[in-house]
Amino acid sequence: MKKSTEVLVIGGGVTGCGVLFDLAQRGFKCILLERGGLSMGTSGRFHGLLHSGGRYVTNDPDAARECIEENMILRKVMPHAIEDTGGLFVTTPWDPPEFADKFYQACLNVGIPVEEISISECLRREPLLNPDISRAFTVPDGSVETWEACQTLTENAAAYGAETLTYHQVVDILVENNKVVGAVAKNTVNGEEVTIEADLVVSAAGAWGGKIAAMAGCDVTVYAGKGTMIAMNYRMVNTVVNRCLPPDDGDILVPIGSVAVIGTTSVRVENPDSYAIEDWEIKLMMDEGEKLVPSFKKFRALRAWAGVRPLYQEKSAGMDLRDVTRKYALLDHTPHDGVDNFVTITGGKWTTYRMMAEDTVDLVCKKLGTERPCRTAETTLDPPHGQQKFFKLTQRLEKLEKGELDGQLICECEIVTRPQIEENLKDNDWNIINDLRRDLRVGMGPCQGGFCTYRVAGIMHDNKNLSAKQTNKALVDFLQERWKGMRTVLWGRHLRQMKLDEGIYMGLLGLDKLPNELSGNDQARIGEVETEGFYEIEPDAAELSTAAK
Amino acid sequence: MSRYDVVVIGAGLAGLTTACQLAQAQKKVLLVSTGGGALLLASGCIDVLGFQPATSKQPVTDPLGKLDAFLAEAPDHPYNIVGKANVQTGIETFWEIIHNSTALEYWGAADKNWLLPSAAGAVHPTCLAPTSLANGELTKGGKMLIVGFRELRDFYPALITQNLNEQDLGVEAASSVINAPEPLAKNMNITPLELAKAFERSDFRRKVVQSLQGQSKQFNRIGFPAVLGLKQHAEVLADLERMLGKTVFEISTLPPSVPGRRLFEGLKASFLQAGGRLIIGSKVVEGLIENGRVSQIQMETANRLRPLTAENYVLATGGIYGGGIQTDLDGQVWEPIFGLPVESDSNRHTWFSERFLSNAGQPVSQYGIQVNEKLNPVDSNKTPIAENLFIAGATIAGADWTRGRTGDGLALATAATITKQIA
Ligand SMILES: Cc1cc2nc3c(=O)[nH]c(=O)nc-3n(C[C@H](O)[C@H](O)[C@H](O)COP(=O)(O)OP(=O)(O)OC[C@H]3O[C@@H](n4cnc5c(N)ncnc54)[C@H](O)[C@@H]3O)c2cc1C
Ligand SMILES: Cc1cc2nc3c(=O)[nH]c(=O)nc-3n(C[C@H](O)[C@H](O)[C@H](O)COP(=O)(O)OP(=O)(O)OC[C@H]3O[C@@H](n4cnc5c(N)ncnc54)[C@H](O)[C@@H]3O)c2cc1C
Repeated sequence: MKKSTEVLVIGGGVTGCGVLFDLAQRGFKCILLERGGLSMGTSGRFHGLLHSGGRYVTNDPDAARECIEENMILRKVMPHAIEDTGGLFVTTPWDPPEFADKFYQACLNVGIPVEEISISECLRREPLLNPDISRAFTVPDGSVETWEACQTLTENAAAYGAETLTYHQVVDILVENNKVVGAVAKNTVNGEEVTIEADLVVSAAGAWGGKIAAMAGCDVTVYAGKGTMIAMNYRMVNTVVNRCLPPDDGDILVPIGSVAVIGTTSVRVENPDSYAIEDWEIKLMMDEGEKLVPSFKKFRALRAWAGVRPLYQEKSAGMDLRDVTRKYALLDHTPHDGVDNFVTITGGKWTTYRMMAEDTVDLVCKKLGTERPCRTAETTLDPPHGQQKFFKLTQRLEKLEKGELDGQLICECEIVTRPQIEENLKDNDWNIINDLRRDLRVGMGPCQGGFCTYRVAGIMHDNKNLSAKQTNKALVDFLQERWKGMRTVLWGRHLRQMKLDEGIYMGLLGLDKLPNELSGNDQARIGEVETEGFYEIEPDAAELSTAAK
Repeated sequence: MSRYDVVVIGAGLAGLTTACQLAQAQKKVLLVSTGGGALLLASGCIDVLGFQPATSKQPVTDPLGKLDAFLAEAPDHPYNIVGKANVQTGIETFWEIIHNSTALEYWGAADKNWLLPSAAGAVHPTCLAPTSLANGELTKGGKMLIVGFRELRDFYPALITQNLNEQDLGVEAASSVINAPEPLAKNMNITPLELAKAFERSDFRRKVVQSLQGQSKQFNRIGFPAVLGLKQHAEVLADLERMLGKTVFEISTLPPSVPGRRLFEGLKASFLQAGGRLIIGSKVVEGLIENGRVSQIQMETANRLRPLTAENYVLATGGIYGGGIQTDLDGQVWEPIFGLPVESDSNRHTWFSERFLSNAGQPVSQYGIQVNEKLNPVDSNKTPIAENLFIAGATIAGADWTRGRTGDGLALATAATITKQIA
């Protein structure tokens, strides 16, 4: 298949989606290619924090300034994807006491709204926090729903005529006489090749930016900085809580849905597609969590996952990753490599995606010789599907309490009902259970899908006209994906829960004995059910032995 | 003098059947347990050996006959320690307890597996099954109608029938989903136990049968989720069969398990009837071993510890799932009451295989107490640690039921082995 467009965007993370919307709004014909589903790269494997900038305020004031500016803008332009949790910086007995004043002053300098509150007020707001905290500051941190945000951006872009092709992996960049003229992508569901001609190509492939650049013969070094996070089975805080110290491992606790997520670590890995979650990371995070919330280890760790930060470096050197700037890199490959019509945007943060997109599209305009002002900071985006598609736990809880939530409760942890699932199934064709997980958070709560996976499979089978084998396979694949995230954090009570799940899916249902091999056509309908499949989080023997030391 | 001949710790299948047999043999038995065990969640059937080799998708039809082949492949499975004869005795003794001292009916023999439909439409090979489940035997063939309730979210008849039909098992299955009658109508979140209680009302049953009118004619058998009554299950089943004029069967579904609860209540009543003493809701927290014998254990009651003494002690605490084996973040694995040695690897990465549905069993599930043929715990030199302490069921090393579906068989075989020595 052949297509043509003005600007081709590679990568469906928040950066690529942001670039696509900005291009479309400025009147460019554009197409986005993403090898998986939207936001399934780093943007879907991050900590979920809308930074106030407080985290970076002492060691990187420029990055902090970018964060606070964008934080304020995003609250206006996509309020539906943001939960205004507020943020706290707290000095625990393990944190350098003198840092607090430095932090406060730095916030004032950068312009981050900061306020010191009394310890009693802090504990009133967050009763589970360590009572030995000595200082507490509020900042405007928040949490973001990345899947919803990316969907918002691509749908709003579509309204301007932009096209988004997910499950399309770029396999080659077409270069003629040192000019990029398009790209070749492979449809990962049916194997079909698509050639797209374009006047200009923007690579927004995050940690994969180096690989994409290499396809065009350009030399770009993007380090992959792995960070691991653990979701705990209880929303033990309602505010984003940061340790008041220079950025470190396991220093932030973020409430998301019905769980709380502690993170992160920071380890350089060679391959953004293959890395292991190491045992020391899990232990360290649990220990750090305990410092913020003294009962931390009494809660259950539900799953661990890792993402890779795209860290751009002009020159390579063996430095501590936290010193590599979090600010982004926008490369015009004409001066950089002598290759025309090609731009790379990488690095940065989720929080600063819009600013990165603005800069990128400004450069695109310049390169294509046109002047079109950016309007994304003033444009309030329409929620996806008039807000039908995504559901927030808080809204659902409210409805449940008011008795307004109709229908069968299928996922008790995340309060998802049968009508919601049926509605959602209508416009999903494949990757079904995983799409539900993304849109509705089915199976993301404390029971991790122990019961609801079977229920969802049954409903899906009834509603989607799937064959039994397709349903069996979707179930097995979903459980396997979940297993990858779970098995690094199984001990104690959670291990017992796993034995119960084994009892349900093997003992009671006999799922392991049911046929699930699909033939060609069936396969195409169900698709590759892998959200996290790109990232083989298999412990690597070498890494394990170093971790053990 | 000890107050008891035997204290049994744990009221799962292993603990309950051991306690029943010993009480029936005139021993003074105390059974202490924190809760009711896996029984309350599992199918209510007795699996002895369902698959051989464990990875096979073909069900075993003759469990005892295939046992040697299974053991050759899984030398570390505790069936090897108790031996084939005790597996058979375990099954027979269980059947006798059920038939002689409970109102339940179980059917089957050690050399034949039932092949029953699961709630996903898989074939569940099992050795002993209560009447209502055994009625679902797939090799009987014919046409079956599988009925679900719109209000019950844990049962999907269309998926079950399609899986059954696609496997060419010789049955022709069809499905129907009906609305639950009053008092459960439109209550969209009912549990299997609520449905089971409703089925004990004759008006409820009549209305269910009414909704099936016209649908059931061409079928030989009508299947329901396993919710057909609790205490009055036998009457419920008989009444439905009479009204429908067909064989009626049940299919086990997600926990809590109604057939499991019937079995638990049956065994419990039988134990009490035989003069046993039962404490449910208390935890045994500590046991003292002196000079190669357990001298006492400590039970936690509301707010204090109570010492208990007996001639013999049976540890039937259910392995990792039951709480008999504990694990933590640092990779420690331990037996919490007596501190019995557990061989394990502290590197948690080695505890799990890459696949969740692993028929080889997760390595961590093999952790447990090493025992001798008497089922006394032994140390790494195979020396018994306490001669009046016996280990039953899932707490024994290698007792991972997922390997070949052997959990219930092992619980019963260990109960038989221990009973022989104490009674
Ligand atoms: C552990 C961790 C925690 C973080 N926490 C936060 C936080 O709390 N707040 C915050 O603001 N930022 C956070 N960040 C940073 C933030 O997540 C990233 O900067 C941001 O998500 C990067 O988005 P992106 O779109 O540039 O990259 P990505 O989201 O990685 O998108 C790149 C996309 O390109 C696709 N792609 C790759 N190769 C190809 C190909 N050949 N063809 C087609 N598509 C391809 C990938 O599949 C991927 O979807 C965190 C990062 C990490 C690692
Ligand atoms: C959902 C599910 C489905 C299953 N399906 C199958 C199957 O299809 N096939 C199969 O072969 N097996 C299956 N099993 C496993 C099988 O049920 C068990 O292997 C078997 O019942 C084990 O019995 P048990 O008596 O050894 O342990 P449990 O039933 O676990 O009983 C242990 C008891 O000890 C008590 N206890 C623990 N610690 C203490 C303490 N300190 N003080 C006092 N009491 C204590 C617990 O409360 C519990 O009552 C399944 C299990 C589950 C949970």
